[in-house]
Amino acid sequence: MPKPLPSYLSLAACLAASTLTFAADDRGGIEFFERKIRPVLVQKCYKCHSADTKKPKGGLLLDTREGIRRGGESGHGVVPGNLEESLVIRALRHEKGLEMPPNEKLSDQIIADFERWVRDGAVDPRDGKSAPVLAKIDFERAKNFWSFQPIQNPQPPKVRGSWAQSDIDRFIQAKLEENGLAPVADAEPRVFIRRLYFDLIGLPPTPEEVEAFVADPSPQATQKIVDKLLASPQFGERWGRHWLDVVRYGESTGMERNYTYPYAWRYRDYVIASFNADKPFNEFIVEQVAGDLLPAKTKEERYEHYVATGLLAIGPKSLNERNNEKFLMDVVDDQIDVTTRAFLGLTASCARCHDHKFDPIPTREYYSLAGIFRSTDTYYGTGGGRGNRQAGRVLALAGDSVQPVSATGSQTQNKSDRKRLVAQLQKAEARLAKLKKSGTQQQVAKLQRQIDELKKQLQGKNKKQAPVAGQSGNNALKFMGVLDSAQPQDTQIRIRGEADDRGDTVPRGFLTIASSGREYPIEGSGRLQYAQWLVDPANPLTARVAVNRIWQHLFGQGIVPSVNNFGANGDRPSHPELLDYLATQFVKNNWSVKKMIRSIVLSRVYRLSCAENPNAKEVDPQNRLLSRMNHRRLEAEAIRDAMLAVSGQLDLEPAKGSIVESIGNGDVGRTIQPSRFEIESNKRSVYLPIVRSAVPEMLRTFDFPEPSIVFGQRDVTTVPTQALYMMNSPFVIEQSKHFAQRLLNKEGLQDDERVDLAYRLAFSRPASAAEKAKSLAFVAEATKSADRNKAWTGFCQALLASAEFRYIE
Amino acid sequence: MFELSRRALLKTMSCGFGYMAFAGLATEAAQKEKKAADYENPLAPKAPHFPPRAKRVIFLCMRGGPSHVDTFDYKPMLAKHEGKTPDGANQRGRKLMPSPWKFIPSGESGLLISELYPHLRQHADDLCLINSCHTDLPNHPQALVQLHTGQFRFVRPSIGSWVLYGLGTENQDLPGFITIKPPARLGGAQNYGSAFLPAVYQGTKIGDPGQALRDIRVENIANPLYSSDVQRKQLNLLQMLNRNLAQRSDNAELEGVIESYELAFKMQTALPKLLDLSKETTATHKLYGIGEKETDDFGRQCLIARRCAEAGVRFIELTHEGWDQHNGLRARLSANARATDKPMAALITDLKRLDMLKDTLIIWGGEFGRTPAVRNKDGRDHNATGFTMWMAGGGVRGGMRYGATDDYGINAEIKKFHIHDFHATTLHLLGLDHTRLTYRYAGRDFRLTDVYGNVATEIIS
Repeated sequence: MPKPLPSYLSLAACLAASTLTFAADDRGGIEFFERKIRPVLVQKCYKCHSADTKKPKGGLLLDTREGIRRGGESGHGVVPGNLEESLVIRALRHEKGLEMPPNEKLSDQIIADFERWVRDGAVDPRDGKSAPVLAKIDFERAKNFWSFQPIQNPQPPKVRGSWAQSDIDRFIQAKLEENGLAPVADAEPRVFIRRLYFDLIGLPPTPEEVEAFVADPSPQATQKIVDKLLASPQFGERWGRHWLDVVRYGESTGMERNYTYPYAWRYRDYVIASFNADKPFNEFIVEQVAGDLLPAKTKEERYEHYVATGLLAIGPKSLNERNNEKFLMDVVDDQIDVTTRAFLGLTASCARCHDHKFDPIPTREYYSLAGIFRSTDTYYGTGGGRGNRQAGRVLALAGDSVQPVSATGSQTQNKSDRKRLVAQLQKAEARLAKLKKSGTQQQVAKLQRQIDELKKQLQGKNKKQAPVAGQSGNNALKFMGVLDSAQPQDTQIRIRGEADDRGDTVPRGFLTIASSGREYPIEGSGRLQYAQWLVDPANPLTARVAVNRIWQHLFGQGIVPSVNNFGANGDRPSHPELLDYLATQFVKNNWSVKKMIRSIVLSRVYRLSCAENPNAKEVDPQNRLLSRMNHRRLEAEAIRDAMLAVSGQLDLEPAKGSIVESIGNGDVGRTIQPSRFEIESNKRSVYLPIVRSAVPEMLRTFDFPEPSIVFGQRDVTTVPTQALYMMNSPFVIEQSKHFAQRLLNKEGLQDDERVDLAYRLAFSRPASAAEKAKSLAFVAEATKSADRNKAWTGFCQALLASAEFRYIE
Repeated sequence: MFELSRRALLKTMSCGFGYMAFAGLATEAAQKEKKAADYENPLAPKAPHFPPRAKRVIFLCMRGGPSHVDTFDYKPMLAKHEGKTPDGANQRGRKLMPSPWKFIPSGESGLLISELYPHLRQHADDLCLINSCHTDLPNHPQALVQLHTGQFRFVRPSIGSWVLYGLGTENQDLPGFITIKPPARLGGAQNYGSAFLPAVYQGTKIGDPGQALRDIRVENIANPLYSSDVQRKQLNLLQMLNRNLAQRSDNAELEGVIESYELAFKMQTALPKLLDLSKETTATHKLYGIGEKETDDFGRQCLIARRCAEAGVRFIELTHEGWDQHNGLRARLSANARATDKPMAALITDLKRLDMLKDTLIIWGGEFGRTPAVRNKDGRDHNATGFTMWMAGGGVRGGMRYGATDDYGINAEIKKFHIHDFHATTLHLLGLDHTRLTYRYAGRDFRLTDVYGNVATEIIS
């Protein structure tokens, strides 16, 4: 349903009256106007561009002097003496995108008349006033919209009873009571600890951890577990991946020519490390936007700052674009889009072609931001290659100096690649021998293809490569990122977003609607000031958007469900006071993500069970008021990681780099087969290669977000391809085998105890008597036609494939 | 999005057993029924905006840009002005080359079709040649992505995904959008991807480019451990676990999980069966040219397409590679025509036999056409400003030409038909209003046609 336009987009009042008068020698001009110009305007233009039109097209009125000179959305209609800036002339000429009248190009004679008229000063006797039609943004009124209001520090409401254990709970309880609702009971300890583990580190607790907590579920024990999980390196892998969704992390350009980004993984690792170090979120933002411009105390810190700016370089790119200006403006658009949506929850890139239709973001301000990014050079490092018209370099850090270098590999690189390839090849060949005995034809064929590919690669690496010019030494550390350009400058509005169609130059700056009033005088590109402006404590959006994302990951739904859109078209907060309270606490606690998570998971509301609440079904069917916990499906990564954990195969050692780096530069689908990114790995899923258009099958199957798009909330779909994956994929069967082996290797256990252990491992709970009986019956049945290992494998697979395995209560 | 009326739903179904399976599951227990009603299968058939002319699409994608002036756009002036240098985008000062092939009036309509297509010509009265197609850029990567998604500057859902999103699919045992051997490059998965639409609407890829169709297998379709009956027992154990969970929690999604396993189990049989051509008669094999060297591969693709159509798959795309003839036009274009002519004609014949041509829309075309100006003595370059696609069946008027290029075939001039118009018209034939088929993403409603697109109503019978 379309929402009504917000009230601040009103038709604003008139400008001061024009005071033009005509001298005697304008007489000839007036006559020319009356004879040649006015009739054409009346006949051909007034229908859509006059005061009599209900809704003048393009906000343009041509029936007064004032109107035609002021112009509309795209700029001035007529600028006396200046043909090129007079959009009326360009429209009459039917320049691309401006064709007027739309279906009919007027005769050359008429166009020549208009040109003459403009050249001669565009004498125009039509004195009437035209109210500007363009919706002028009244920022003062616009700021009445909830998300642009300053963040308040509301006092937690007073509530009765002993349910509430924290301020968060008080806000929740008050809202529930307002709606005549009561919260359900707390979750069972084993349900709760499973929730906690998956939410904080994306992995299940071990049966021992579960039992210890069941024995002592006291608040102190809970706190201890929370602190342990927040301190574990797995925390950053879990929460870093949440952030990578938002910033459209990908290891290739995507689009029509899909060139790899061999060094994107450094940004990934930076994100994981930042969450693990509990880097204050404001610093995290500043580093990603302007890390290259920050002072650094140590070499490590400098490296970290530079790599952080990878955020601006890893976006999708149209490498085949011939038009350089267009290419650059697309890169800028991606940078504006990611920074405004990720940090501000605003869809500023809507204002690229016209003023934002719903939010107070004028096109001018889009181009103020664009000026900042046009004054920034982006190093994404795709090298050259066929179909790549926009080859890019990467940055290299050697000692203290950073410089752009060619993206293609160096000698050392080559050597270490060779080593890695040889190892991979040996491993694959060993596996092939095994598979030939026990695997399917399909598996053998697949592996054989991989082996052939590896051999081919190895051949390539055996050739000596000439050192690349401009290489800053073999020890240089390469990464993606940005630097200020040599000559920072403002850029022009591009009419209707057409890169080559330039309008007024606008000074670099930020979005008025989210400004606190504090000045940030631009230096260099202005990126550092943009970053500082983003994290200004008085910026009404940044902290709210950040805490709302955290809340979403813990409850399955944000206080504002549209996490990437806090504008008019987004959702309204279910608990505006709570949101502000959290945002205030967040800033007060030095933007600590871990502290924020800690305070939320230790609240009573986070501890609620998922039990049905019949009353709430009527009043609050979407459970926005949180009278119970949402039943949530795990993300693809957590499902995969949990399978590895339960099978005993999980390798917690972080990956070193990415397969994309070892494969190197190339065009996916042309010089690099996409199947090469389907690697076998027992490491956590966050380390799998995320090549656009070639996302690993497992992740793709379970709603991994399109990596070219800024994603806030993943879809949860349920389709037969997921079921097929669980039933038949080599990965799941492999893990089931290991899981079965793990059970069978336990000596001294009866089979029913094995079944019980399996349930504890997979579901963090014992098996019921009925479940035990049915499970054993299946094993017995399957043993008739298969060996014991195979029978147990099938049983284990059923557990891994079950809904209970991939849902958290 | 749209109201789902039961009557409209039943009306749009030709084989309906997907729905029956759905309904059967829902009645297992009263409690379950209630929950199943809460669960909405995102792929269930949906009523279109208005009565459709076509219920499904078979898109024959000729990857590389087939030369329109040698196939379906007769240009006698090329012979007359041979060797002249034409103006126009991408002609690069080269000389006009007349088509080496004769055009023959075909069918009662007398449509002029190149002698390259002796079999297809027999169906001239079913073909609607759209001679005025044009697209934004004469580069493969952008043009192929635009052909599929309408856009090349941003990642957007493909037309098959939009159709599946708008209409759901009739047979829940099979994917609703199947693409056979799609290119891995030039946008790759973007050409059948769902972008911001939920992932259920993405196309299912069968086979890779360069792979012979007779060897293709579908991933994860067979269980390497067990026979089907043991697997069924395993599934029973699994479904017991799922039902237990569904009973103790209040979550409609869980019904979806249970159902997805039943459907997957059936798909294990249904999908290989769909691809198994051995049960088709020898006559049918012959009709499609299966077993003959040149036509075997595309013949199989076309026969699979027919089987998909019969089984209720909503959107089927076939790819035939290698139409980028900058040189060797005479040999390579005739080889391509030979490889595809008989199979395509067979597809039309076969659908007619089944009385399915009337509601199956067949689309033929590539990402652009080729220049009338010669390249490398025996080749043609990319021509984006004018080219030809054709449609047949699915409510399209046969035996007609729609629109025209200029005398040489460089620019579409009459009734210009942009890719956006192609998308708008295709959706329209399926009963979808392209301005109303929207999805809310990033704060606004997106369409396949963005702010463009006109339906070419003239081609609708």
